[in-house]
Amino acid sequence: MSVVAKIALEGAGKEFTSHGETVLALQPTTIEIAREQFVALVGPSGCGKSTILNMIAGLQAPTAGRVVYDGTPVSGPNRQVGYMTQKDTLLPWRSVADNIGLALELKIRTVSANNRVRRVAEMIELVGLTGFERHYPGELSGGMRKRVALARSLIYEPETLLMDEPFAALDAQLRLVMHDELLRLTRLRRMTVVFVTHDLGEAITLADRVIVFTGRPGRIKALREIPLAHPRDAFRLRFSEEFAHLHEELWNELKDEVAKGTDR
Amino acid sequence: MSGFVARPLGVAVIRGAVLVALLVGWQWASGTVIPKFWISSPSAIAATLGRWIADYSLFGHVGATLTEMALGYVFGAAVGIASGLCLGFLPRLERIAAPLIAALYALPKIALAPLFVILFGIGLESKIVLVASTVFFLLLYNTLDGIRDIDRDLVQALQVMGATRGEITRKALVPATLPWIFTGLRIAVRYAFTAAILGELMASNEGIGYLIEASAGDYNTAGVYAAVLVLVAFSVLFTELLTRTEASALRWRV
Amino acid sequence: MSVSQTAGRTADERFILLGRIVLMTALLLGWELAGRFVDPTWISMPSLIAVRLVRWAGDDLAQHAATTVAEMAMGLAIGVPAGVLAGILLGRSPLLATLLRPIIVGFYSVPLVTLAPLLILWFGLDMQPKVVLVAVVTFFLIFFNTFSGVQAIDKDLISSFALMGASPREAFHKLILPAAAAWILSGLKIALPYALIAATVGEMIAARRGLGFLVTRSASQIDMTGLYAALIVLMLIGMAIGAGGNALEAHILRWRASGR
Repeated sequence: MSVVAKIALEGAGKEFTSHGETVLALQPTTIEIAREQFVALVGPSGCGKSTILNMIAGLQAPTAGRVVYDGTPVSGPNRQVGYMTQKDTLLPWRSVADNIGLALELKIRTVSANNRVRRVAEMIELVGLTGFERHYPGELSGGMRKRVALARSLIYEPETLLMDEPFAALDAQLRLVMHDELLRLTRLRRMTVVFVTHDLGEAITLADRVIVFTGRPGRIKALREIPLAHPRDAFRLRFSEEFAHLHEELWNELKDEVAKGTDR
Repeated sequence: MSGFVARPLGVAVIRGAVLVALLVGWQWASGTVIPKFWISSPSAIAATLGRWIADYSLFGHVGATLTEMALGYVFGAAVGIASGLCLGFLPRLERIAAPLIAALYALPKIALAPLFVILFGIGLESKIVLVASTVFFLLLYNTLDGIRDIDRDLVQALQVMGATRGEITRKALVPATLPWIFTGLRIAVRYAFTAAILGELMASNEGIGYLIEASAGDYNTAGVYAAVLVLVAFSVLFTELLTRTEASALRWRV
Repeated sequence: MSVSQTAGRTADERFILLGRIVLMTALLLGWELAGRFVDPTWISMPSLIAVRLVRWAGDDLAQHAATTVAEMAMGLAIGVPAGVLAGILLGRSPLLATLLRPIIVGFYSVPLVTLAPLLILWFGLDMQPKVVLVAVVTFFLIFFNTFSGVQAIDKDLISSFALMGASPREAFHKLILPAAAAWILSGLKIALPYALIAATVGEMIAARRGLGFLVTRSASQIDMTGLYAALIVLMLIGMAIGAGGNALEAHILRWRASGR
């Protein structure tokens, strides 16, 4: 029985041309991501990880190969995904509740106003922001804004979540809290997740599979299944032996690339 | 063909061609399709300009406007910067005077033109005062903004390091205020020009604005257009000069 | 902040208030005395001006003020939507921007108020040329601000809208317009005083009504009291407009006041 991958990069590569120079950001890469799998992409800056997310989302087209989603090649904005970036793109003139409910206002999905209000309330409770519905993003802390961004990407129940270093700007404690919530929510909703990060520990904590990339031009250096059992305790996981082994193994792959990156 | 269009030479040629076409169309339409009164014609305008240049009157008028601009600018800027510095370093006084200054600023300065003409006569003086009063407010507010921009932390750090007042002035106060003052000086050029012209439109016997108004009063449309053309020429000149200086001024700022 | 510091704050504010009252009183008193003991012909006096204002108020001051305000309002009604539309169109379309923006910038390098005589030549003495002048001046200011605002919209926001499945129309209403609103409003705040200036200039050059006309009429009769009175009315209108602009901005941009 062959399982059709949820997301497949088939020799997908990306070149950028600017000021007359052509830069190869991502070498032709082949990856298969199964349904409900949580995949982490790790690597130094500029190795094309964000480009992969953009290609899956349909915001950028590969200059080589193609990206296939659910059996169909991606051509144009992919509405099946939710995308959470490092900068939270909240609308500053809307309250928390209105920001979260934004996707449900759109004509593409028919959601009655009552329904929307209910689902927004559920979402707010889910991410722990009860009491802040009427606040504006400008009044919230960084962590709270991230939670709003998360709620906003999840509310229309996309089957896939793309995340580009979403927690990079948060302090260590907050990040652990977000890891915990993310694991809980994505397993609850049975979502496929592609998560980009610098932080190897974060990748191992969250993912079923970690892919290590080289520096620019990026290609896959290492691929490792993460057999840690679910449900995972984000707070205590890093103290387990298995975690330490995995970390050491992958860090050996990663550190050369990071060193190369800082020399350049 | 598209390659030719895209290149600078191609763009210039196309723009030139469009311009020529417009002028020819204008000349033809004048008197035939549209009455001469409304749009005059390139030939009449050129003739008027030619006359003004030939009898040297144009230079006198341009000179008058530029003189009003220059003198008013210098006086207004000097008083404006000085007042700004005074008020900036005496915050209590600034707050007391703020509503009054804001009220005076809310008045369209051009409305003062007749007053100045009554007080100072129809000559250059009234326009100089008008220009000065416009430039004054601009530089005042810009200087105040500059003083507000001073990094208090830097001042304190310098004090702790044992800097003298002169050193603090040079290393913290001047670098913060100077960019604002320069920006104000640059913006003020345009305002000075406008104020001079407007003052002349109100009441004068010299200047580019006078040429416009006098021609309009005589229903001499060609004269109005000719004077407006001179106005436009100088406006563009000033704008170009200022854009150049802005580029070089900002270079050090990063 | 400690209690004594807050008390000190209020004492400070009271001092400022006192200072302002002293300043205004001193000026008015000084003016009044100068008028009485020097020559009232050129300087006039606050008392005379006050009397004249009261007389005008009972007469046709309201009509003149209304004319000026109406010219402004009509000009704004044309200039603002046109500027917003042009700003959004050119902001969203790089092609249109490269083609048309240089032309607009070129036109803007000319101080438009100085073209008032030309407009009066074309349109005559009544309100039309002033309305046109206000509209044109407003258009440019609003256009430039809207254009910058639209261009400044975060590209990530635009992509996230596309991913959520928003139609172009929805993106316009829910993203572009609100995002540009801040810029449009700051353009409006700048444009309002200019609208007053444009209307005043037009009226001073040729008009039969309006506050600018009041100024020139008093001037031509060397009626200093009337002149000052008219100037004061203009000043008050200018202040009202400024306050109105600020209030509008504060209301629409409530979300900005919070935090950061």
